[in-house]
Amino acid sequence: MSRGLNHKGGYKQAHWVLLLYGLYLALPIYWLLRLALQSNQATLSGGADWTLANFAEIFSNPVWYEGFANSLSYVAINTVISVSVALPAAYAFSRYRFLGDKHLFFWLLSNRMAPPAVFLLPFFQLYSAVGLFDTPLAVALAHCLFTVPLSVWILEGFMSAVPKSLDEMARIDGHSLPYFFFRIFLPTIRGGIGVTVFFCFMFSWVELLLARTLTGSETKPIVVVMTRTVSASGIDWGVLAAAGVLTILPGIAVVWFVRRHLVKGFALGRVS
Amino acid sequence: MVLANRVFDRKLRMAEIQLSGLTFRYPGAEDATLADLSLSVRRGEAHALLGSSGAGKSTLLNLLSGLLPAPAGSIFFDGGDVGDLEPWARKVTQVFQFPVLYEAMTVAENLAFPMRELPAAEQRRRAEDVAERLGIAVALKVRPAGLTLVQKQLVAIGKALMRPDVSLVLLDEPLTAAEPEHKWQLRQTLRALQADLGATMIYVTHDQTEALTFADRVSVLHEGRILQTGTPEALVATPDHEHVGYFVGSPGMNLLDGEIRSGRCLVNGAEIGHLQAADGPCRFGFRPEWATLTVESEEESATAGTLPVGVRATRTLGTVRGVPHGLVIAEPISGQGDIELVTRQDLDRIVAGPAALRIDPDRLLAFRDGWRIGMESVGSGS
Amino acid sequence: MNEPLNNRAWLGVLPVLLIVAFSAVIPLMTVVNYSVQDIFDVNTRLFVGLDWYRETLRDPRFLDALLRQLTFSGIVLAIELPLGVLVARSIPRDGRWVGLILVLLAVPLLIPWNVVGTIWQLFARPDIGLLGQLVNELGVPFNYTASPAHAWVTLVMMDVWHWTSLVALLAFSGLTAIPSACYQAAVMDGANTWQVFRHVELPRLKAVLVIAVLLRLMDSFMIYTEPFVLTGGGPGNSTTFLSQYLTSMAVGQFDLGPAAAFSVLYFLVVLLLCWLFYTSVIANRGNEP
Repeated sequence: MSRGLNHKGGYKQAHWVLLLYGLYLALPIYWLLRLALQSNQATLSGGADWTLANFAEIFSNPVWYEGFANSLSYVAINTVISVSVALPAAYAFSRYRFLGDKHLFFWLLSNRMAPPAVFLLPFFQLYSAVGLFDTPLAVALAHCLFTVPLSVWILEGFMSAVPKSLDEMARIDGHSLPYFFFRIFLPTIRGGIGVTVFFCFMFSWVELLLARTLTGSETKPIVVVMTRTVSASGIDWGVLAAAGVLTILPGIAVVWFVRRHLVKGFALGRVS
Repeated sequence: MVLANRVFDRKLRMAEIQLSGLTFRYPGAEDATLADLSLSVRRGEAHALLGSSGAGKSTLLNLLSGLLPAPAGSIFFDGGDVGDLEPWARKVTQVFQFPVLYEAMTVAENLAFPMRELPAAEQRRRAEDVAERLGIAVALKVRPAGLTLVQKQLVAIGKALMRPDVSLVLLDEPLTAAEPEHKWQLRQTLRALQADLGATMIYVTHDQTEALTFADRVSVLHEGRILQTGTPEALVATPDHEHVGYFVGSPGMNLLDGEIRSGRCLVNGAEIGHLQAADGPCRFGFRPEWATLTVESEEESATAGTLPVGVRATRTLGTVRGVPHGLVIAEPISGQGDIELVTRQDLDRIVAGPAALRIDPDRLLAFRDGWRIGMESVGSGS
Repeated sequence: MNEPLNNRAWLGVLPVLLIVAFSAVIPLMTVVNYSVQDIFDVNTRLFVGLDWYRETLRDPRFLDALLRQLTFSGIVLAIELPLGVLVARSIPRDGRWVGLILVLLAVPLLIPWNVVGTIWQLFARPDIGLLGQLVNELGVPFNYTASPAHAWVTLVMMDVWHWTSLVALLAFSGLTAIPSACYQAAVMDGANTWQVFRHVELPRLKAVLVIAVLLRLMDSFMIYTEPFVLTGGGPGNSTTFLSQYLTSMAVGQFDLGPAAAFSVLYFLVVLLLCWLFYTSVIANRGNEP
């Protein structure tokens, strides 16, 4: 209502909580940045010299930048598949009642509850059997297990917020379903799609276990490159930290783009 | 607070409210929402604040309750300056546009919350008393989710009266959410309760029917200031400002451009009445109920004291006390926009075409710069 | 949705079904299949019924890992839920800072899990880590690779750092849905901060908190990467949780049968926990109309 509203427990909250928590979040990242910008000698001896050599190493060494490229590719594939597949399903759940719709919805969500570790073996065998092992498509499909149900859930929420009268109007105007869906409906849930991309990214970019299991030497994702570095002789802290910093950047970019829809996204589209 | 067998046997002693010179501007806004506003509400009065959306009604409520601080002007309750006091200290309660209750508490607990400092037995008696008056006694043990919208709003109204030393009850368009058929019932209940308890209530609305039927006195709020405060009858009969005339009454007042010359009221040369006022251009106002129409074909051409008009359309309005009423829409021959006329004449006799409009000269009003002639002093000071 | 049944809608759902069938149903069936067989090699299998299940349930390492997992999940939930709500309440609801704050809060959720482990690995090291150095300077001989207690503390701190934002963002979305009139009424009732939280905010956060608990319960139960990177399951196996134990079994030993049985049990435990929580919430809802 009116700004400057003085009510207790709401707006005039203790901002110190937020500041302290922000500090808690920021410190480890600051430390990571610092290690990335120092040489290893400085790190181990406690001194401080500033250098971009660690980042240079990553940009020049194919092991590193190919790792990034591999990761980005399967994340992108996964997002495209998840959103494409989830859109018609979410539309069906949102607009229609059909036999078994509630059960199907809950069954979909239950897949989110499966521990990835459970799927290591069967995935390995399955994807090897169909010849998809060590391809970005394998990881993208494997991640679909988790990202598709979530995408359907989120998109359904956003779609249900669009009044059905829009559909009816389009039908009366003589538009076909595809035309209506792509030209009229999708633009209205742009925010929802953005949020879905965010959540797909939030799972696919960050996951290690399945990404490690289903890739070999051809498509090593960055997360694997980083863990392999640790087991080598002598840990290159600076480069490791620099790689870490670089893996945070795509996340920041994604969330920055959808920041205006974040609140609705976490309400899963259902803002009362 | 006086205790009695029946808790609300005696009337409540609520506050008398005085606002003066109240000005408020939202940070970053170009115009002030409220400009030099003054208002006084008597103890135990049912006072309505009537204004269209955006006129500043909610802002005024928030200033009264203390949710917004008043940067300029003064707010007095019973002669004491409450400008620095918080809402709880001002003892103000409010009923909102939708029922605002604590969802996890029962109705009884909701009612008890504002009076939680009282002993339990006392709380129970007060709650039961008001619940009975509002017809919600059966719902005392129920949570709000199990009630209808009207019941919930009744609980909200009851809750607003529970605080033992409540000074003022604010109501922000409380009937908005209710279905039309329930509005009347809610309004009656509220009116009866207010009269029984003698509660000082300020009722904000954009619906003039609600305002006129609920209130002892009505203030019309427009562009940040109060144009007029008066009884419903006064507002209908002698609006001080064009906007009051237009806003109050359904349909609103008709306005015609014209001039006064030597006490004669002229519209495009046709004389429609007499008024004691200075010469010069002005606008004449008359309510649809204050004029009659004579169809040309029945009489000679326009007689003195009438305005030639052309009838464009008619519409039945239904019957009032068995007498059929009709609406006639006509346009002055000189052109000026439509006039609306409410008549008890037989609509069949009124056909499209030329006619003569006769306005009751005792009720004709004239306005200059918006203000009724004779009220200019009000316009400049306020 | 008072619409007639429209079974053509199944067409829209078909792609999803196919993908999930490929990704989930087939692998799960494979796992269940393996779990009841003793597999010597590709061609030699023996049906053993529930033997592997019995063996797993009696395996002390399994039970240890399960206990550790339950403890870990319990601790982090107990911290992250109240903390997340507290943080959510302190986020301004409007104004120019909100967007930025939400972005900063969301960042930990988008960091690859191994990087999270790496960050804390570095941060908590006694030699080159800020936290490690600070704590040692305060007199505590802090070393998470040597002491199980220190490892646990670091793990919990890492998980709280990682996931509290999820609870906070969920709770924030619930809080922003509360009409300001509810706060205004509470202020006029003279409610203090605690009363506002208890009577205005908490009832409306219940739905969101259920989702938060379910998500955190599930995800903390499946945690693998972060503790693996941070402590490798050590010192010893003091921080070896279920996922890591299962992974080492499945990958290292090629004993498909027991690993499969373990997997099925693992899945069932997660489902059971979620079901327990969900029904208790529904039961509670039954007490209120």
